[in-house]
Amino acid sequence: MSFDREARAALADGQLRGALRHATTLFGERRRAAIADVPDWEDARDRARAIKDETLLHLDQFLEQFAANAERAGARVHWARDAAQACDIIAGIAEQRGARSVVKSKSMASEEIRLNAALAARGIAAVETDLGEYIIQLAGEEPSHIVVPAIHKTKGQIAALFAEKLGMEPSDDVTKLAAAARRALRRRFAEADLGVSGVNFAVAETGTILILENEGNARLTTSLPRTHVALMGIEKVIPRFADLEVFLRLLPRSGTGQALTAYQSLLTGTKRQPADEGPEELHIVLLDNGRSRMLASPVTRQTLACIRCGACLNACPVYRQIGGHAYGSVYPGPIGAVLTPQLLGMGESSALPYASSLCGACRDVCPVKIDIPAVLLHLRAQAVARRGSTGTRTLLERLAFASYAAVMARPRLFEWVMRCARRLHLMPPLGAWTKWRDLRPLAPRSFREEWRRGLCDEGAE
Amino acid sequence: MGSTGSADPGPATEDPQGPRKSFRAALVSSFTERLAAVGAQCSVVSGEAEAAGALAGILSGAGARRVAGSDAPLVQRLLQPLRDRFQIADLERLSRDDLFACDVGVTTAQWGIAETGTLVLESARERSRLLSLVPPIHVAVLSTRCICGSLGDALDRVRQAASHAITFITGPSRTSDIELTLVVGVHGPQTVHVLLLEDV
Repeated sequence: MSFDREARAALADGQLRGALRHATTLFGERRRAAIADVPDWEDARDRARAIKDETLLHLDQFLEQFAANAERAGARVHWARDAAQACDIIAGIAEQRGARSVVKSKSMASEEIRLNAALAARGIAAVETDLGEYIIQLAGEEPSHIVVPAIHKTKGQIAALFAEKLGMEPSDDVTKLAAAARRALRRRFAEADLGVSGVNFAVAETGTILILENEGNARLTTSLPRTHVALMGIEKVIPRFADLEVFLRLLPRSGTGQALTAYQSLLTGTKRQPADEGPEELHIVLLDNGRSRMLASPVTRQTLACIRCGACLNACPVYRQIGGHAYGSVYPGPIGAVLTPQLLGMGESSALPYASSLCGACRDVCPVKIDIPAVLLHLRAQAVARRGSTGTRTLLERLAFASYAAVMARPRLFEWVMRCARRLHLMPPLGAWTKWRDLRPLAPRSFREEWRRGLCDEGAE
Repeated sequence: MGSTGSADPGPATEDPQGPRKSFRAALVSSFTERLAAVGAQCSVVSGEAEAAGALAGILSGAGARRVAGSDAPLVQRLLQPLRDRFQIADLERLSRDDLFACDVGVTTAQWGIAETGTLVLESARERSRLLSLVPPIHVAVLSTRCICGSLGDALDRVRQAASHAITFITGPSRTSDIELTLVVGVHGPQTVHVLLLEDV
């Protein structure tokens, strides 16, 4: 089980755990401060969830409405069944336009489809321009957080990386590090033929896409190159323009603890006149990649309400200890543990639904009230059923449960087993539990034994 | 009442000219408070002459040489008297290299949002998309009449103009991607200065 191994490795990495503790604690504090001055926070959560539920129940209609309105405004809409098809579409757009240099702003969907690798395989270099993503790309790593991809790296590590890759004087001054990245990326922006961005919300009634950010790299990506490709999961659509209000209230506060991020770009189609600013072409790629399967049941459907704020990562006692990489998937943390097995199938990610203590902290902070523990339990049941059909580990499990049933049904046998267990100070089936915890000492005699020895008489007096 | 720096339009309730004006004063005061909170500069000016003076002060204070203004008539009027002191780039002939070499971009903003200190720019009204983004300093001129109370109000208004690009700007460009330490001015402007224009 690779999650187990990765988690152990992460737990042994003191530097990683220090960085995680610092970042997730600070994020939690900022989030709490940001929502404290919103009087109708709970109401906003309920409204947002109701909008998402309404959309997901009629997702096909809203998607068609969105696509029709976006195309009317001048965008081209592409439908991608899976990751490979989405990569083909985007690489095809780049190739047709002879684009050799691509700038990218942050997009989890593009990580999900492994777009950079697909473009590189066709000789197209895609440069990440979000500072955190840029750091990760230079280091040849993967993001470990949805909002701050380089959350696991200390500034010392980043300084060493920039010294090596950008040739800058080693410095642990964060301002200097950011300035070095700005200089390096400005050239890329000036040269880029094509910009790839993600999408936070897509409005069905107007065909508008909305992108939130703080750095300005998404604005540069979507304003400077001749062609803009926006990649979005099909769950990003919302019905009405006015619905943006509640989501703009929830997302920045939950994600970074800001009332509003520095920039929101609301883009509807392409420019209207040649003299207007902005790209000549806008391509919107709608990505399914397993999402429509989740619509089938209400339990799994709520996974698609996620607005990718990352609050559940910062709140999760498991994520806070092991970070994002141990999950072995693009989406880490509680939402990753439910999203990944549903997107990719149980095969490689059947350990993820167990990467949780079911404490419910994720559900409490979720701005759209996704009941993540319920989805985790649903997926655990699937994992068990799947093991049953393939036959792995079932013999031991069947034996254990059969013995348990036999012992529990026979009081005399139960007492005898318990007496043995007390004598031997051992709880064989709970090895994984007792390995890290002290077992409370067992009483020398059981309640039943005490009762028989006369406790019943005392009680009758 | 042209004051530069943290602007205080005065207590709303003492305004003698009726509730509408005092309501606007309250919006202006919460807008300027929020601007300060998100790290934007603000100067309140009355009339265009005072605005041009304040703009000259901002430009020389920042040591700016190359300045580009949007196609908004107001911006053109404000920059006209400054042509002998600064290199004012012509938007029509501004190449990408020229744009990247500019020190300051001057635009108007169509709306302000009081509750968040946000500027709203609409592409259908002005060519401000790149000038508000690429140069390290962005100066935005906003009429006090165009400050909305809430995000919802602003969304209502921009919906009507149906621009192909609507940009909400709240303070300067920022990042916390390294150890969650705030750095201002990463890809976009390091300085956002709002010239809040009161009617004369």
